[in-house]
Amino acid sequence: MGQQKNRGAKGTKKTSPETVPLRVPPPTGKITCIRSAASKPDGLAALTSNEYLVMAGTLHGIHAITARLSPTGSSSGAEVIEGETFKMTIKLTPTGTKFVLLTSLSETSAELMLGKVYEAYADSVMKNPFQAPEMPIRSEGFDNKVNSLFGVA
Amino acid sequence: MTIYSLYIYDRHCQCVFYHDWQRVKKARPANEGVMLSHVTPSTEMTSPRNTLTMSSGIIIASSESVPPTPAIAPPVSSANLTSLPFDEEAKLVYGVILSLRNMTKKLSGREETFVNYRTSTYKLHHYETISGYKFVMFTDPNTATDTIRFVMRQIYTNPFIEFVVRNPLIDMDSRENGIDNDHFRTAVDKMVKNLAIYA
Repeated sequence: MGQQKNRGAKGTKKTSPETVPLRVPPPTGKITCIRSAASKPDGLAALTSNEYLVMAGTLHGIHAITARLSPTGSSSGAEVIEGETFKMTIKLTPTGTKFVLLTSLSETSAELMLGKVYEAYADSVMKNPFQAPEMPIRSEGFDNKVNSLFGVA
Repeated sequence: MTIYSLYIYDRHCQCVFYHDWQRVKKARPANEGVMLSHVTPSTEMTSPRNTLTMSSGIIIASSESVPPTPAIAPPVSSANLTSLPFDEEAKLVYGVILSLRNMTKKLSGREETFVNYRTSTYKLHHYETISGYKFVMFTDPNTATDTIRFVMRQIYTNPFIEFVVRNPLIDMDSRENGIDNDHFRTAVDKMVKNLAIYA
């Protein structure tokens, strides 16, 4: 948990991205990991973990439907969902795990960051013999890697 | 860059208008009696109504109950076998929009609407008017967000207001007829085809 950098346009560091929460729902739509920045007046709302669970379920359904609505043959599910002030980048791994990152609209490295989180997940979580599948991730190594990735002290 | 299709939904969650352009995978014909009349996946510029018996040949609005013509069966190809019937597709599009709208509102914690989403092969744009009409456009995944939002606004402020809202013969809140009329469809078609991104 922790506050990340300043909001792109308003902060003093113009290029610093804002990175808000990170979720890792497995194929069933269950969340195994949430990392979020502290709530700010102009940032995203702080939700309870139960609300995040509901949201993950919804997202799971939407992702499946969006793949079916393609006007040009087969398609992936939604990869980027944009609101008016934030966007949601979704990375679906071949095993069905989804990595979801909420960022500001101007953030361009979201997909890259998710790739790196996936790497950390593969190294610290999947290779951990004590990690039961579909259970919440409690791994210090993973936490440290994610924190350093997003520049959290 | 291209534009695939346009859906317009009214505030009763009904699809009142549909038109497609360069869509490769066509929807299958809708099940009987589920869609509003005059909302069909076949978007030939010839009206589904019998224009020959009318004096002008152009339909300004149609309030008389004309049975919806069965949509022309699309040519059978492997791509068509997996596509959904048109009515189900229209419902799914609305469902996705509604869920995403609620999710966006919840995540941001304020009145904020969802703008678009992108997959590997298409991008869906959403624009909602104050009166509750929702414009949904499917485009190429690389289309800029602002461009399409502007186009949808243009469709609303120009052909929609001009030929639908200001048309005394159209029953706006009708739950039986779509808002289809030839002027509107032609204007939208012309507008989209003249766009730089349509090619």
